[in-house]
Amino acid sequence: MFSYCRGMGNIEQTDSSSGSADQKSGVLDGSRARRILDSLPLAVFGKDAANEFRFVLWNRKQEEITGISQEEALGKTDFDLFPQEDAEAFRKADEAVIADGEAFEIPEEKIDSPTQGVIWLRTLKTALEARTGKCRWLLGICEDITAQKLAAGELERTSEALQATQLQLIQAEKMESIGRLAAGVAHEVKNPLSLMSMGLDYLKEGIKPDDPNLPVLLGEMSDALERADKIVRGLLDFSSDRGLDLAESDLASLVERGLHLVRYELKKSCVVDIDVEEDLPLVIADQGKFEQVLVNVLTNAVHAVEACDEVEAAHRLELRMEKAVVDFEMADEDILGHRRLRIGDPAVLLRLRDTGSGLPEGNADKVFDPFFTTKDTGQGTGLGLSVVRKIISLHGGHISLRARGDGLRGAEVRIFLRTAVNRCG
Amino acid sequence: MDMLENEKTPIKVMLVDDEQGLTTLTKLNLERDGEFIVAVENDPLKAVDRARVLQPDIIVLDMVMPGMDGGDVAARVRNTPELANVKLIILTALVSQAEAPDGTVPIAVGGDRCRALAKPVKIELLRQTILEELNLV
Repeated sequence: MFSYCRGMGNIEQTDSSSGSADQKSGVLDGSRARRILDSLPLAVFGKDAANEFRFVLWNRKQEEITGISQEEALGKTDFDLFPQEDAEAFRKADEAVIADGEAFEIPEEKIDSPTQGVIWLRTLKTALEARTGKCRWLLGICEDITAQKLAAGELERTSEALQATQLQLIQAEKMESIGRLAAGVAHEVKNPLSLMSMGLDYLKEGIKPDDPNLPVLLGEMSDALERADKIVRGLLDFSSDRGLDLAESDLASLVERGLHLVRYELKKSCVVDIDVEEDLPLVIADQGKFEQVLVNVLTNAVHAVEACDEVEAAHRLELRMEKAVVDFEMADEDILGHRRLRIGDPAVLLRLRDTGSGLPEGNADKVFDPFFTTKDTGQGTGLGLSVVRKIISLHGGHISLRARGDGLRGAEVRIFLRTAVNRCG
Repeated sequence: MDMLENEKTPIKVMLVDDEQGLTTLTKLNLERDGEFIVAVENDPLKAVDRARVLQPDIIVLDMVMPGMDGGDVAARVRNTPELANVKLIILTALVSQAEAPDGTVPIAVGGDRCRALAKPVKIELLRQTILEELNLV
């Protein structure tokens, strides 16, 4: 667009009624040039730098945008046609272009057009040499980029809406988890309450100040109170609805919080082994959302274990946290892709292995699909793992589920998380 | 065992629950007046063997424990000939009185039912229930 216009050469003000001796020779004459200019979808204007930058060129598109006709504009200055503040800015830019001989571009500016309302323009101003060799003419070309701006704005709003929807889905699934956790939490809270009830029963019978049981009694009651408070706070924190809040976090602490929430479920079914590599880097995680991931995958592991027939066997849940290097391409698409892990990136790997019933036969690749479930009707909507994958994706990480791989029956969940050192992706 | 003997000899109670703080305080309460003598077992996997040695009059056990739940412990006690006469009470946070309206819950084997109390339980109610199960009231 701009290179085409630069090749136009000198523009001279001509009377529309005058013909040109060069017409027959094929050289571009004034009237033909004007017709071409008027047909362009670009606004074109020209100013005479030697005559107070008065307009000497004003095409049809410029008329449309400004609402000022060519007759009104030609011979006038910016100060005659536009508000003072705008005219001063235009003049300043014009003088710089003429003085430097360098083109000047405004990539986007918002204009309040009297005919078209608010529009966005991309403007190029360039100096044209007169036959004398000095820069005398200023040529201005404006492209209406309103449509592109609106489309970009729409894209941004769509991305924001998409993320908002994802967060809503995550919250909905969390509410479902809380329903399942409730029985466990009630049990967990009742134990400390029972202890305190026993303690109060003892105290009600009357005690001597030197009763040797008193320190133990009061110590146990105090610990029980703290435990009950921690359990309730844990559930309240888990259920609160927050946006995505990624921060540097200690993975082992996050895992412990998750284990605490499902302690009741685990206690019934399996023994938990935890192994944390030394000097594990901090990870980038949203505490609440990652707890939701842990509740989901731990609950799934427990259900897999309960589905096994060998009730006599001591089921184990192994949790390993180790440093890793990403050695595969992440296939998951994500609108926030610029924060994802890439091949060769350092990461932290959380591995969770159970001794449960293993992966569903023939459906291993569907486990992360929304509403896929192997449970009976009424036992789970199947949203859990699809939401888990979404959460990990928002973390810029990756999750996979596979068979244990060591000859024993059971499954392994692998979660890669970004470390604090590569948070900029 | 006649009534006179019971007045002199403390009742042997075995308490099986993985919550150590709770078993400590329950033992303190039950033993306070000398009416009971309490052995505590926090590992359900060891409960049956320990019971064989102790020969308690009654076992009070929690339902949800790591490794083996109270129902399984109760079933094993029932299936152990030398423990056939031992009474059982389930003391659990799992079952509220509303869920066990007749005060019993089914234990794992053969549909046999067992007396249940919901946690938190008042010590007086526990004491009363132990005496009832042993026909001492």
